[in-house]
Amino acid sequence: MLTFISQIINGLNQSAVLLIATLGLLIIFGLMNVINMAHGEMIMVGAFVTYIATSILNIPFLIALVLSFVVTALFGALTEVTIIKKLYSKPTETILATYALSIILKEIARIIWPLSQNVNMPFPGTISLGGVIVPRYNIFVVIMAILLLTFTIIFFRFTKFGKKIGAITQNRQMTECLGIKTSTIDTLTFAYGAGLAGIAGCILAPTTGVSYDMGSTYLTDSFMTVVVGGVQSLIGAAFSSTIIGEGRTVLAGVSNDTWAKIMIFLAVIILIRFKPEGLFAKERR
Amino acid sequence: MKMKRIIALAASMVLMASLAGCGSTSSASAAKSSGSSDSSSDGDPIKVGVLFSATGSTAINEKTMTNACIMAFDEINAAGGINGRKIEYIHEDYASDPAKCTEKIKKLIEQDEVVATVGCCTSASRQATLTTLKDDDSLLIYPTYTEGEEIHPNVIYVGAMPNQQAVDFIPYLLQNIGKKVFLVGSDYVFPKTCNKEAKALIEQNGGEVVGEEYAPLGQTDFSTICNKIKQSGADLVYSTVVGESNVSFYKDYKQYGLNPETCPICTISIEESVLQAIGTEYSEGNYASMPYFSSLDAPASKEFVDKYNKKFNDGTVVTVLTESAYSSCYLLAEALKKVDDPTDTDALIKAFNGLEFDAPQGKIKVDDYNHCTWVYSRFAKIHDGKFDIIYSSDKAIRPEPWPAVLYPQYKDTNFMPDWDDPICYPQ
Repeated sequence: MLTFISQIINGLNQSAVLLIATLGLLIIFGLMNVINMAHGEMIMVGAFVTYIATSILNIPFLIALVLSFVVTALFGALTEVTIIKKLYSKPTETILATYALSIILKEIARIIWPLSQNVNMPFPGTISLGGVIVPRYNIFVVIMAILLLTFTIIFFRFTKFGKKIGAITQNRQMTECLGIKTSTIDTLTFAYGAGLAGIAGCILAPTTGVSYDMGSTYLTDSFMTVVVGGVQSLIGAAFSSTIIGEGRTVLAGVSNDTWAKIMIFLAVIILIRFKPEGLFAKERR
Repeated sequence: MKMKRIIALAASMVLMASLAGCGSTSSASAAKSSGSSDSSSDGDPIKVGVLFSATGSTAINEKTMTNACIMAFDEINAAGGINGRKIEYIHEDYASDPAKCTEKIKKLIEQDEVVATVGCCTSASRQATLTTLKDDDSLLIYPTYTEGEEIHPNVIYVGAMPNQQAVDFIPYLLQNIGKKVFLVGSDYVFPKTCNKEAKALIEQNGGEVVGEEYAPLGQTDFSTICNKIKQSGADLVYSTVVGESNVSFYKDYKQYGLNPETCPICTISIEESVLQAIGTEYSEGNYASMPYFSSLDAPASKEFVDKYNKKFNDGTVVTVLTESAYSSCYLLAEALKKVDDPTDTDALIKAFNGLEFDAPQGKIKVDDYNHCTWVYSRFAKIHDGKFDIIYSSDKAIRPEPWPAVLYPQYKDTNFMPDWDDPICYPQ
């Protein structure tokens, strides 16, 4: 029983990691209809920023967290202005362009850091909750996931900026007619999405190490989470990452990691077959 | 409707990306680097292939192997080459992709007409070359430590076989640490085959296997496995987890409250290249077994590491794979010196039998019969982010591609079935 409880608690950590890795993609994919194949590499950029900040410049981890957001967001803005802006309404070209970008970023990182690098654990140690041992860092990750989710929801639902994005998503031309500068909003939204990917990289860095190859693992998982949750739903992403994260950990507990992965993928395929719009689809006009 | 199309598009792209994940990058123009092309008056240079990835997921290990080959061939040429002829090496990048490996070995053999190739880093890439090697009657020198249970007539295996890493290591662990062993590995052929032998050795030496778990390749969450280790009451963990997953494994191990002081991870599959990413705090107190560690305190080893670091200041470090790739080149050069016509592959392969070389790890020797190499058995305790060698065999150990503990029937036939037996290699 104790093991089962500890598996559930570990599952929370995996869900939180998944959610953090997904949020950035959800905004870029869900709100802007841009399939960002370089999402994984933006996570990598955030992770390398963290590595440079904490291991080389000895900056505290929490400041590195902010830095990784800022740097990746700036990088995202640059990408949007130079590449993505020309390609809205051309999904195939966007995929190719972002895929190319992902390769370029990965190989640059490989040339500079051929080996994977270490980021020190910022909150080492464990706490014991009635016999269940929980790493301190996991608690931090779960709290971060909740904070980021809440902030993003408030940002998009209750601020003027968020409402403008909503309007653009629904009807771009009409919004432009109303005198809203869609182009600036696009850039800022893309930058915010990229910045969230940067935060994901920062949070992953202490547990997985930082390497040029780290992005690809998370690209598939994030797309899966987005699709299961419903493409435009932040709450949906929270639910789907919890289901996938918990599902994987609990199933791994009773069988093993490989089977857990297979079963989760199978469940996702079945779900998409019967509910292609995801669990929390928004009504669209 | 439009949304659906986009999702379908996205889904297919992600699938494609994950399929191509291992070797998503293709370098259209292969790096062609030829060692001193001005042929000496004594004759044309001898062409040799170097087949390692410069891009993709296993490039992390293969970069250093390419470097080792460049270093070795440059040294051999500087010392006069092969009976007066220089070696011209042609490097091809297979981008960590086995399918591309088949293509590249074909190119090396058929277009460049190399006499032999030093290359491949994983079993998957090696196996992708076997058919071509046989059809075109060429030779591959394979440097990576491997799981055995395969001997191809056109391959020389310079890396360790599982018995060379395990027969001394496991009894030591059982005697000095504890009897209850938990086996952890990555979910593919190398760990599973190695663990088969490990289990037999553990039982033979009075130990007990209390659990066995495999994680998918590239796994970054080891919380479940750590939980199972905790429950099992193991005294030690015998690990065949490979590559970058080790970073998460070692970090999770301590994060989830397991203590290397009382229950260490004892691995046959980490190198210096992963060690720094794990970090001193999390690697401390664990054990590793390899034929060579770059911390080896011997003149030949020190000289080798110094030479390497001086020549390549590119962020890579010397590992057992570097050493083995370096030795592979020298063994090939020695074999080439023994034959009259380098293009005579049969004679070249025969020239390898019993060939010796003073490698950085010590004197190694290609077996007289089974194409594997006698290498040392060494193990180390990790301290301060370095491998502190605690045991070193006094001489190289005999390779057993089909380990005697599992296959007593091959004990008297050089630890392998007949050359024409279909189980000898994937046909």
